[in-house]
Amino acid sequence: MPLFNQIVEQMPIVFRSLNEGFGQTLRLFFVTLAGALPLGLVISFGSMSRFKPLKWLTRMFVGIIRGTPLMIQLLIFFYFPGLVLKNNIWGSGESGRFLAASIAFIINYACYFSEIYRGGIQGIPVGQEEAGLVLGMTPGQIFFRVKLMQMIKRIVPPISNEIITLVKDTSLARIISLQEIIWAGQAFMKGSQGISGAIWPLFFTGVYYLVWNGVLSWLLGKLEKKLDYFR
Amino acid sequence: MKKLLVLLMAMMMIFSVASAETASDKQYVLDKGVLVVGITDFAPMDYKDENGNWIGFDADVAAAFAAELGVKVEFVEIDWDNKILELDAKAVDCIWNGMTLTDAVKAAMETSNPYMNNAQVVVVPADKADQYQTVESLADLVFAVEAGSAGEAEVAALNLNANPVLAQADALMEVAAGTSDAAVIDALMAAAMVGEGTNYAQLTYTVGLNSEEYGVGFRKGSDLAAELNAFLVKMYADGQLQTIAETYKVQAALIEQK
Repeated sequence: MPLFNQIVEQMPIVFRSLNEGFGQTLRLFFVTLAGALPLGLVISFGSMSRFKPLKWLTRMFVGIIRGTPLMIQLLIFFYFPGLVLKNNIWGSGESGRFLAASIAFIINYACYFSEIYRGGIQGIPVGQEEAGLVLGMTPGQIFFRVKLMQMIKRIVPPISNEIITLVKDTSLARIISLQEIIWAGQAFMKGSQGISGAIWPLFFTGVYYLVWNGVLSWLLGKLEKKLDYFR
Repeated sequence: MKKLLVLLMAMMMIFSVASAETASDKQYVLDKGVLVVGITDFAPMDYKDENGNWIGFDADVAAAFAAELGVKVEFVEIDWDNKILELDAKAVDCIWNGMTLTDAVKAAMETSNPYMNNAQVVVVPADKADQYQTVESLADLVFAVEAGSAGEAEVAALNLNANPVLAQADALMEVAAGTSDAAVIDALMAAAMVGEGTNYAQLTYTVGLNSEEYGVGFRKGSDLAAELNAFLVKMYADGQLQTIAETYKVQAALIEQK
């Protein structure tokens, strides 16, 4: 089994490299969630605004972001400032790439989240709002005390879907040379740290995604059960 | 619509004020205090040692050049397809990675004097090597070549069948897997990656299709290219360049700097 022996020999180097890449993948994942979950709520308020220009501007923005590939958005976010405005605002090195990727991911995912939030909020029967008004509650009180928890319960399944997609979408950041796990795996095909022409590290990255998505699915399933206290 | 236009124009103005250009590229790098070098993982020019530090012929010379300028050096791995974009967007300050000086590269960048010789060679399975020792014998083969590489240009110039792939390493994999008959890659890379004692022991390289030279690319109009040329002359004169080349066993390909 020469191939098997070779893989065993390569393992320590490959795993160190893949772990490093997966660290970057996870950082991008958590930063995107931390930014996009609240920003999505703000955008959803914009797209439900009674002030028409704001509503149309927001919906147009969401339409553009959802209608174009994230890969193009990454390229534009990272290269446009330096290329057209002659001012690279991201700073040099890996940290600049991470910052640009984070912002592109946050904006992209916030737009998707905003539509899920809007569906969740608008799906609540209007009678509840009317009842709150009759009882003398302010619109703010009605949102936070009546609607918000119902909305959260309703949006858990679609948000879970997006979260799992996000784990895999982080691999797109490779286009601006962010060294996430796919990049780390591919490096061994080309030759890196004395290993060249090795294809298994790239395929093995799939195991990392699978395990992490398994953990997330389990956690999100538990959350869904916990919120299932009323129907 | 009008309001939107006004808003857009106001934003443009803010950005254009923020982007007042510095006159000299050298001054820009000195002010920043760091020379950002765009590379790929490409032994023996730029690659990582066991501790994760970038070494190689190009990496060592780049570090010496940055020290001469009095700035820090920072190596950034880039996607080779995007090298011109990376330079123009100021994401990196130079491309220093065994870059073949093609007409396209010379048109898009301010390049240094050539410092190393290279060739594009044909890689075939070792058991078929005797059949393909001349350029004429290659007519029926399908070649895997890196898209946008000098190898692809050579195959196109000879009117041979090309099958573009993402990287030179992918081209080798195609030949090993039998999905392409042959590949065209850099001689320095072929010497390091195919033949006895490598992962591609069943492959070998035969015909050289051309000869070419490596150079360093800076932003168009940059004064750093001339600065580097003077530095290379100095390093060649006191033998430092030859010493670095011997460290990485590429001394035979080194070009005299004068």
